[in-house]
Amino acid sequence: MRSRNLLTSLVGAVLALGIMSTPDARAQYPEKPITMIIPLGAGGSHDRNARVFTSVVPDILGQPIIVKLMPGASGQTGTAAAATAKADGYTLLFTHNYFDQLQKHVKKLPYDTDKAFVTVGSINSGEFSVIVRADSPFKKWQDLVDYAKANPGKLKFAHSGNWGATHSPALQLFTEAGIADKVVMVPYKGGGPSLRGFLAGEADFTFQFISTILAQGDKVRVLISAGTKSAFPGVPTFKDLGYSADIGKMYRVIMAPRDIPADRLAKLQEALIKLQEHKTYQRLIKAIGEKQEYINGPEYEKMRPMQSAAYEKMIEGLKKK
Amino acid sequence: MFEAFLAGFSILFNPETVFMTFLLMAAGLFLGMFVGALPGFTTLMALAILLPISFFIHPLLGIPFLLGVYKGGIYGGSIPAILVSMPGTGAAVATTFDGPALTKKGQARKALEIALFASVTGDLTSDIVTIALIGPIAAVALLMGPPELCAVLFMSLIVIAGTSSGVFVKGLLMLAVGLFLGMIGQDPIGALSRFSFGIAEIEAGIPLLPMLIGLFALPEIFVSIEKKASQIIQAKDLKVSGARLTWAEFRSCGRTIARSTGIGTLIGVIPGVGQVVAAFMGYAAAKSASKTPEKFGTGELEGVAAAEAANNAVNGPTLVPLLTLGIPGDNLTVILVGAFIAHGLRPGPQLMEQQGPLVFAILIAMVLANILFIFIGYLCIPMFAKVVTVRKSLLLPLTLIFAFAGTWVFRSNPYDLAILVIFGAFGYMARKLHFNVTPLAMGFILGPPMEYAFGQTVTLAQGAIFNYIVFERPIAAVFVAATPIITYLIWRRSVRLRQQFGTTD
Repeated sequence: MRSRNLLTSLVGAVLALGIMSTPDARAQYPEKPITMIIPLGAGGSHDRNARVFTSVVPDILGQPIIVKLMPGASGQTGTAAAATAKADGYTLLFTHNYFDQLQKHVKKLPYDTDKAFVTVGSINSGEFSVIVRADSPFKKWQDLVDYAKANPGKLKFAHSGNWGATHSPALQLFTEAGIADKVVMVPYKGGGPSLRGFLAGEADFTFQFISTILAQGDKVRVLISAGTKSAFPGVPTFKDLGYSADIGKMYRVIMAPRDIPADRLAKLQEALIKLQEHKTYQRLIKAIGEKQEYINGPEYEKMRPMQSAAYEKMIEGLKKK
Repeated sequence: MFEAFLAGFSILFNPETVFMTFLLMAAGLFLGMFVGALPGFTTLMALAILLPISFFIHPLLGIPFLLGVYKGGIYGGSIPAILVSMPGTGAAVATTFDGPALTKKGQARKALEIALFASVTGDLTSDIVTIALIGPIAAVALLMGPPELCAVLFMSLIVIAGTSSGVFVKGLLMLAVGLFLGMIGQDPIGALSRFSFGIAEIEAGIPLLPMLIGLFALPEIFVSIEKKASQIIQAKDLKVSGARLTWAEFRSCGRTIARSTGIGTLIGVIPGVGQVVAAFMGYAAAKSASKTPEKFGTGELEGVAAAEAANNAVNGPTLVPLLTLGIPGDNLTVILVGAFIAHGLRPGPQLMEQQGPLVFAILIAMVLANILFIFIGYLCIPMFAKVVTVRKSLLLPLTLIFAFAGTWVFRSNPYDLAILVIFGAFGYMARKLHFNVTPLAMGFILGPPMEYAFGQTVTLAQGAIFNYIVFERPIAAVFVAATPIITYLIWRRSVRLRQQFGTTD
């Protein structure tokens, strides 16, 4: 098993380098490697999750999925490429809910995500929790909210870039807590730099993934934990404090061009469901500190309009101020 | 700490795995060098593609393998820069000043060898410094925030514009053009479109790689075509690939390499500045310390050594924030994070405490990778150097094909080819008018991160920017204060040189 996976990933690597291609005689879909566009940069959590499942997928589909990173223009470059690709099931998009449903409310896009894409499935979600440094005077989330209300403009929040994966959920949380116009939002170039800024004291609090927080040990304190069950003992979740439960949840979603033949879409969905039972996948996904929370296409499709409505309301609220 | 270091040694030299560790590291170095040398392929792409391999093997096999790809790739980028003036990354631009000139003199092999030895020396020294000073480096890295980054980038741009060959004012003009080109697309903070005139292709900005190949490689080809065949060195006059580097030549570059290593290591400590700036600062420092600065740019071994030692010396300290704070220092180290966490090792303060020996084992492997690379690189150089022994009438069209093919494989976008041609024509004209395109490339590369850092600084200062810099960010204040002084010194120097030699070209 081990060596076979090593082999498949090696083969995938060689293929992706374009040095060789494997001719395959089977006429059934997929008969050649599938390209999956990630509209984000190398090394991010999307890239990492994709590396895990694409190293197992050839066992199930019989063909590799080749990751193509196309960052730029806050996800627009890659998303536009996927939107204009042939809907033959050989080009997929690996994106998240903020690119998919929030971005359209803040800027004019050269595509309509609802018309352009249909969900294959959501692999899992990244969950953000609110942290302060260990020496911070704020012991509870409410302390921070009270202080922010009494001292507008005093608190700084470090995030990973405007309308990015931590900025959007943070705005959602601050809007619900009534402090959206009282906190200074400091952008950083990605999650790593925002963590540096936060640790260096440039900002008072930030959002981070659970796995990153665990690596910081006792240097930080968690005020709110994402998820339905708190990942940190004694720390309330968003839901516990009465906020929308899916705040801070970044769904990692595989989508396909909307006109993909139904049988091909079904085949991909079937493969992703089978993937969840795959032993190597289970081991690897745990190793990289992620969860298995697969949501199949049809169910995720129902969530998209609701997300859109929630984000629209939030943005309207922000504009009024 | 010292016990952990010793324990690291014994983990690394475990007789069962040590052979495989070094074998994989050697494979990584070779693969990295090869991929780095191919125009259009980047080390970043290679690392991302090879990452999954590390999921399935022991961390002490997988991580040294990836480190090998990383180190090999950074050196590999200098190969096309030296041979055909084709920089695959911003970091290799400084190598195109003297590398291709050496190649034209028939000293391609010498140039590749000095690049190798300078790279390895710079890297090795900075890795050792990193291991010795891992704690203090981490503390300093934390102090270097957006204001410091912005100040350092601004100062670097002035130094680069000022020390590139040609008239100072012309350099500044090209810098301004580069900064403007860097603004095309979306503004770094608010992601609003500017100067893109609704053209969807440049919404994401002008792509760097086609632009660099266009600016540096195409004019080189055009200029060569202009010359009559007789004026170009006949291939058969050269020995297989030119003479080898002598020990005396390496020794004569010793001071330069040491200086560049120091500069590169310091720059590596500041997160977000990186190899591009290091290479230029190393080059600029070597040029101004030299007794014969006018020789720089005409095929000076020291020029190649200065750039290569400095950009590789960045590697060591870049890993520090990752291992000690859990913050990756650049795009390449971000990928290494994946290799760590796939084995349940979460880079951060906890990692050092809980897995100190393993971290040290990896760091020691990194040091030894350099030594391994001397041999691998040395054996491969003749193979690469042979490229220039191809007849000029074949080499020029081949280089042209490589320029287009490299641009195409980068991301298979036909529009990139247009960028290549436009910047090729621009570069050629600039050359005819004695404008140096280097400040343009640097303004383009460093402008956006500088603008971002400036935007962050303004946000952090909340309007009171002067007070913020002076009272809360003394390090940034020092850089800001030093900039006009350095500018004046460079200007005075450029005037003096012109009086001495008539021209600084």
